[in-house]
Amino acid sequence: MKKPAIFSFLLSLSGLALASKSFDEKPYTLSASLSDAPMYTLVGITDWGADILRVYGITTVVIVFVFLTVALPTLYALWRFRAKGDETELPKQFTGNHVLELIWTILPVMLLFIIAIPTWEVIFKQSNRAGDPKNFHVNVIGHQWWWEFQYPDYGVTTANELHLPENTPIDFTITSADVIHSFYVPRFGGKIDAIPGVFNHIYVTTPKVMVPNKLGGDFYQGHCLELCGQSHALMRFEAFVHTKQEFDVWAKNAMNPPQVLSAQEKRGEAVFAQCQACHTIAGTDSAKIPGKKLGPDLTNFGNRRYLGATTRENTLENIRLWIKNSSQIKPGSRMTSFEGILSDQQIDDVASYVRISTAKKLK
Amino acid sequence: MAKNLPKTGLISWLTTVDHKRIGIMYAMSAMFFLLCGGIEALLIRTQLMLPNNDLVTANFYNGLVTMHGTTMIFLFVMPMSSAFFNFLTPLQIGAPDVAYPRLNALSFWVFLFGGILLNFGFVVGQVPNAGWFNYANLSGKIFSTDHSVDFWVLGVQVVGLASLIASINFFVTILNMRCKGMTLLKMPIFIWATLVTQVLLILALPVITIALVMMSLDRSFGTGFFEPTLGGSVVMWQHLFWIFGHPEVYILIVPAMGIVSEILPTFSRKPLFGYSVMVYSISAIGFLGFAVWAHHMFTTGMGPWATALFSAATMLIAVPTGVKIFNWISTLWGGQIRFTTANLFAISFICMFTLGGLSGIMHASPPIDYHHQDTYFVVAHFHYVLYGGAVMALFGGMFYWFPKFFGRHLSEPLGKVQFWLYMIGFNLTFFPMHFLGLQGMPRRNFTYAADQGWNLWNLMCTMGAYITALGAIVFAVNVVWSLLKGKRAKNDPWDARTLEWTLASPPPEYNFSVNPVVTQLDDFWHKKYPNGKRLAEDLIPYQKEVDPSTMHVPNQSFWPMFLALGIVTIASSFFFGGHGLAVALAGATVLLVSAYGWAYEEP
Repeated sequence: MKKPAIFSFLLSLSGLALASKSFDEKPYTLSASLSDAPMYTLVGITDWGADILRVYGITTVVIVFVFLTVALPTLYALWRFRAKGDETELPKQFTGNHVLELIWTILPVMLLFIIAIPTWEVIFKQSNRAGDPKNFHVNVIGHQWWWEFQYPDYGVTTANELHLPENTPIDFTITSADVIHSFYVPRFGGKIDAIPGVFNHIYVTTPKVMVPNKLGGDFYQGHCLELCGQSHALMRFEAFVHTKQEFDVWAKNAMNPPQVLSAQEKRGEAVFAQCQACHTIAGTDSAKIPGKKLGPDLTNFGNRRYLGATTRENTLENIRLWIKNSSQIKPGSRMTSFEGILSDQQIDDVASYVRISTAKKLK
Repeated sequence: MAKNLPKTGLISWLTTVDHKRIGIMYAMSAMFFLLCGGIEALLIRTQLMLPNNDLVTANFYNGLVTMHGTTMIFLFVMPMSSAFFNFLTPLQIGAPDVAYPRLNALSFWVFLFGGILLNFGFVVGQVPNAGWFNYANLSGKIFSTDHSVDFWVLGVQVVGLASLIASINFFVTILNMRCKGMTLLKMPIFIWATLVTQVLLILALPVITIALVMMSLDRSFGTGFFEPTLGGSVVMWQHLFWIFGHPEVYILIVPAMGIVSEILPTFSRKPLFGYSVMVYSISAIGFLGFAVWAHHMFTTGMGPWATALFSAATMLIAVPTGVKIFNWISTLWGGQIRFTTANLFAISFICMFTLGGLSGIMHASPPIDYHHQDTYFVVAHFHYVLYGGAVMALFGGMFYWFPKFFGRHLSEPLGKVQFWLYMIGFNLTFFPMHFLGLQGMPRRNFTYAADQGWNLWNLMCTMGAYITALGAIVFAVNVVWSLLKGKRAKNDPWDARTLEWTLASPPPEYNFSVNPVVTQLDDFWHKKYPNGKRLAEDLIPYQKEVDPSTMHVPNQSFWPMFLALGIVTIASSFFFGGHGLAVALAGATVLLVSAYGWAYEEP
């Protein structure tokens, strides 16, 4: 822990102060301090996130006011009216006061309208964005315990890394292949459930790229937020925002067939025939097998930062461990343990194939 | 077999139909299940004390959170409230017993056996693990292949049956057995809270009963109500669960409100402020409680209109709740406040419940809920309401009525030590959870990475949990010591206002030997203070020297326990595979024989 958590606490207080400001003009810069709290909810970098935080700020002011109107009289009464032990008379026996009771019925109603009106505004603003022809479409599909992302306009399918162009209205269509999950990138705004048989939507406009880095974009942590079985805690993903050119490069690379160069990769390609019932790599035989596949699409896998839905770093060693027994890394993992089925040599080979051959980029 | 059963010893407890003894048995069972739920909580907190901890497996962790929630709600708060309903309802309305004494015994035994069935998963290593609201289709046969979820479904079904039986009993008792002169608006406020709770139970339980039947059919007979691959809907389960589940929240909190509304006037030496408004607001909360279930489902994508309307209804509940809080403060206002342990717990109820209510107003706004939903902010919120609120009030009730239950006082010094351990421990555990929620920590995560900024808060939460556990140990010592050596209780040790304090502590089996007659609210108080001055000697208006054998009391009976055994045997038949039908038939036989015996037994 680099910075003490009290720092994060101060951050949350400052976040409350920020939330009451308007977020419309420019999104907040992703400061270095926030990397200590990647799921921090009180910074919104999209228009939807900013709308939510405005309601948040208003509500916070109202409830702090209500808190004081309850706490101060309570503390005063407890101190002022404490029994001193020498009372001989009963205190004044009063049984109620209808005027007072009317006041503390009507006043809260008025306070609630202050919260309710901007609340409704934000709710309807979201739903009014459905069907906008400018929307950029991304399909999000939750699986136990990883995320599938499809870009229907680009013919791209990928997993656990969500790549988006900057300054673009996005229409996320969210569903699930098995149980209920919940799709949540705190910096983008709220969450919505990924429900089997239901197609939910979130509409956000991505911000401009703020902190260009070696990956060519800004990245934000996402997480499943609905209990979905054993490895719910390990069902994370990363969202990246790129400039438009960089996004186009990524989209082309994303469906780039593997380039098998070394002898080891060639051997690995042969071993991969045993994997293609569950995994697809575009441009290979595995892509010809029809039907829904159980495991994530591995095209361009070599360029991903993590494996197992942001569980481990994407290194050859971790891939080997994963293939041997993925449920050691991720409890309940649906993938077969290949220890004993494949030889160590075969596991090495196939690991280098999925890690190295798929990492070759078009330029 | 009903005659000549012993009046003391084990058999007398197994066959008792005395509402006071049943109340005590409810309380003891609830305390046992509190211990279970508390140990589960400590294991959860120990697992989360450090990042990447591997004290328990992911699967067992999910079992712990599921059973902690289920146990605390269905097996601690509800039966502990039932203990107070049982013990106090006949005493406060001036009745000899409840309307259906044997039905009352039945409800206790069904509850106890149901609670054991629910927890039996621990014994066979199949702990329910789909969360306390058991969302479909994670709880379906495809994703929960063993019997873990069956223990939850059938266990909750049986426990729910117990509540349904009890609720009809108390509803009838309160409406029919009040003493002379006690019109509805002269009933003690706790009796109003009890009545509203029974109405909520009667209306809400059938919904969960049906939902659980559908879930059982899905799991045991291959139907697909909640299975999308068979054309079912997973969201339908959520609607059914929360149509029950939200009134359930008020089933937990309304009795606590009733308890607090009895304790505060006594220790302020003033009448409850705005009695009639308190009655209306408690009823309004109960009524509105049925119109807000979908606020648990804002993130399921219900469309803008449903979202906006359920949000508005939810905010509306804050109004009667706020009225109650201001009325409690006004009850304290101008009084002579005595800080007994019972009163400390009651005052802490107001404070903690207010904090929980305020965070509740925040996520009544769906945009805010889109952030809070399923993070630790929600965990903080409902623990402030149900633990800081309901549980603190129940402890207040225990300290207040213990002398009446057992004839001896709980130790006040130990009580105050426990109170402060609880207050410090509780707030240290749950206040940092607000910050964890703001930092986006998901609830029900069995572990977390070290680089998320969650470490310090989690450590603090765990420390708080251990401090609370110390408080629980102090309470256990207090109960045992006080039962043996505690100060003897007088009839009316707190200078209280309601009828139970006119009787001996503990009251005789037949309760009142003179039928009470009341003319106004807090009639006993006004009799004690005829002109605002206390009478010189203690007033014992409804008790006289009688030969106990001449007082009519209902006969003891074994049948309620046997009948409950039959019910739970039928419910457990899922576990026996191919022999399930045989087990169910055996259970049905026990049930029918017991019902026959019951019907022809001399009451």
